[in-house]
Amino acid sequence: MSTTDVAAAAPVRASIPARLALPAERPAWAAIIPFLLPAAVFYVGLTAYPVVRTVWNSVHEVLPAGDIFVGTAHYAELWLDETFWRAVRNTLTWAIAAPLLEVGIALLLALALYAKVPGGRFLRVAWFTPVLMSYVVVGILWTWIYNYDWGAVNVLLRAVGLEDWANPWLGTTGTALPALILVTTWMWTGFNMVVLLAALHSLPSEVIEAAELDRCSWAAKLWHIVIPLVRPTLLNLLVLSCVGKMKIFDLVWIATKGGPLWSTETVSTYTYKRAFEWSTFDLGYPSAIATVWFVIVMAGVGLLTWTLRQRQRLEY
Amino acid sequence: MKTLRRRALGTAFAVMATLPAGLGAAPAIAQAQEITLWSHWAAEQPKRQFVEEAVRRFQAANPGVTVRTTWYEKNALYAALRTALRAGQGPDVFYAEPDQVEYVQNNFLLDLSQGINWNNVEPWARQIWTHNGRAYGLPLEAWTVEMYVNTRKLQELGGSVPPSLPHSQGEFLDLVRRARARNVVPISAGVGDRPFPGAFLTHETLLMRLGLQDYGRLLAGEIRWDDPRVVESLRFIRSLVDARAFPPGVATMQLGQSHTYFHTNPGTLFFPMGSWYTSRAFNPSDQGGQPADFPLGVMRVPAPENAACTRCRTIAVGGSYVVNARTRHPDAARAFLDAFATPEMGNLWLQNVMVQTGIKADASRIEGPRAGYFRQLAAANEGSDYFFGIPQQVLQGRARDTFTQVVNNAFISGQVSVDEVVRQMSAAQQAR
Repeated sequence: MSTTDVAAAAPVRASIPARLALPAERPAWAAIIPFLLPAAVFYVGLTAYPVVRTVWNSVHEVLPAGDIFVGTAHYAELWLDETFWRAVRNTLTWAIAAPLLEVGIALLLALALYAKVPGGRFLRVAWFTPVLMSYVVVGILWTWIYNYDWGAVNVLLRAVGLEDWANPWLGTTGTALPALILVTTWMWTGFNMVVLLAALHSLPSEVIEAAELDRCSWAAKLWHIVIPLVRPTLLNLLVLSCVGKMKIFDLVWIATKGGPLWSTETVSTYTYKRAFEWSTFDLGYPSAIATVWFVIVMAGVGLLTWTLRQRQRLEY
Repeated sequence: MKTLRRRALGTAFAVMATLPAGLGAAPAIAQAQEITLWSHWAAEQPKRQFVEEAVRRFQAANPGVTVRTTWYEKNALYAALRTALRAGQGPDVFYAEPDQVEYVQNNFLLDLSQGINWNNVEPWARQIWTHNGRAYGLPLEAWTVEMYVNTRKLQELGGSVPPSLPHSQGEFLDLVRRARARNVVPISAGVGDRPFPGAFLTHETLLMRLGLQDYGRLLAGEIRWDDPRVVESLRFIRSLVDARAFPPGVATMQLGQSHTYFHTNPGTLFFPMGSWYTSRAFNPSDQGGQPADFPLGVMRVPAPENAACTRCRTIAVGGSYVVNARTRHPDAARAFLDAFATPEMGNLWLQNVMVQTGIKADASRIEGPRAGYFRQLAAANEGSDYFFGIPQQVLQGRARDTFTQVVNNAFISGQVSVDEVVRQMSAAQQAR
């Protein structure tokens, strides 16, 4: 209803006697509450309360005998905690590098399938399969692949005469984190590819055909038409991947436990160590880590969301 | 710091069984009760069989009392206990290790000073579990740090196992270089899935160089890591690293793989390892055990020239059972643990598990093909002065994490210098 329609209806409504007027519309709470309640209970119990409780814990020493208020002591200690900041650096490196690799390679693979390369059906299944495996299985698998003595990578290098390049990939500070980033790239590229392939198939064919009539080159078509049209999908995949990497735990725990020399320590693994492997029942300090990281992740997601909205406005 | 001195032949297992088996004499518990036991060792059949046998005997001696056992892997058990104990829903009896001082600090453990026949438990093992004069755990598993050797390979290199004294560091380094010259990896080690095996040589060297008291003070943060004796000890380990003594993949090799690396493929000269080595190695070879004809020898870690204590070595208590302070059946739980504390059960542990125990036992009663090994182990331990606990059991918090990352892993894989080890450990000792 436009503003003009509303203005025209107002005198008509005013002329109706009060006894004949329909009662003002009220929300039907009796019907709404039963529908909302289960979800609200789950949300409050399993999301909101843990968040609030974690923040509460972060300013207390949380011991079985009771909580002791320590104010900002945990945060002050965290500020000087070298291992925490190293974990932050590693996690941010992962959260920036992995999405770019995953989505970039996925776009190339999706384009290959879109262009109907031979064996496309098989390749789609093959590339997608890794995401069906759990991080635990993937972690074990890749610790074997990276094994110094008999792992596939080093066996291959030795076979082609590059014996000097053989390396304990997960055991060297310089290579451990890149080696793990490669694993998540291998694991998630197929998923991104499938989503992008669906986006490519939903592109309006008339736009592509018009470009072809204009004798647009393949590269120009990709750069000026295809990528701008799938940009919302690309950005969503980047955000999802980035958030996933900010929480990464399982793979690191299975493959390196944060070593060597904390070179693969992530915020999640460090939080776990401080909570469960530090010979203390105190959950205050790990809660401070979780709180700080929660704020950082929320800020990152907010920034990416804002960027995404800007792009959409420009597009439309 | 808990340091006790004990000079005895094969401390962990050489005390004669003098008391009759106490199982039949265990006080009968009148009412029908169920004790819950949460235990590690889900995948360790010999230990599990031993515990199941103890449960069977206890139940037979105490009609009306049943023990319901839940088996876990260690990490899963620890996680479950943390939440269950906090919630007041823990089991009556559970597995713990002496480094888990947080249980004692938070009053989760029942005082076991009464109700256990401590005469049947090694005094040092009881001491490890003693806090403020109270004993909190029954020490089942004990082990020493040993230097295993492939005697055939050693002879091929012109070396031999010294009859009682250790090699000097110079002799040892020479053997390492000779092995490398023949393309043999000298020392097997794997730290990919454990926080301690890569540090065995380092802490044993530090222990001998500093002596019991000062070594304890070093771990307590009372002696600095830039102490010349410490630096000197670290330099010896670094010389081994520089001589390529350790496998190139040591940083990621797992414990089980390091066993195979020592005895089968490719086969190394030495293997510094806990004496529980045999609980894997004495399995059939198709189950990961060493070859039947493997020439296993036991020798001492090489001693520094100016060692404060050449007879010093580490002994540790591992798996133990404790009682939940909130148990509703404290008497039955104590009686259950007391059922383990008999020489008969100690001998049963030795025969089944092939590892030392904190329960007094008599290794001379062990018969069969492994008897020779236990005599050899007793000889290697003869006259030893023991320090109790490896650094991972003594250090806490950041110091422990740093020791694991730096000394256990990066140092022996050649990724950090001696100066960096000193810097990192000094910083960690000062931090929380």
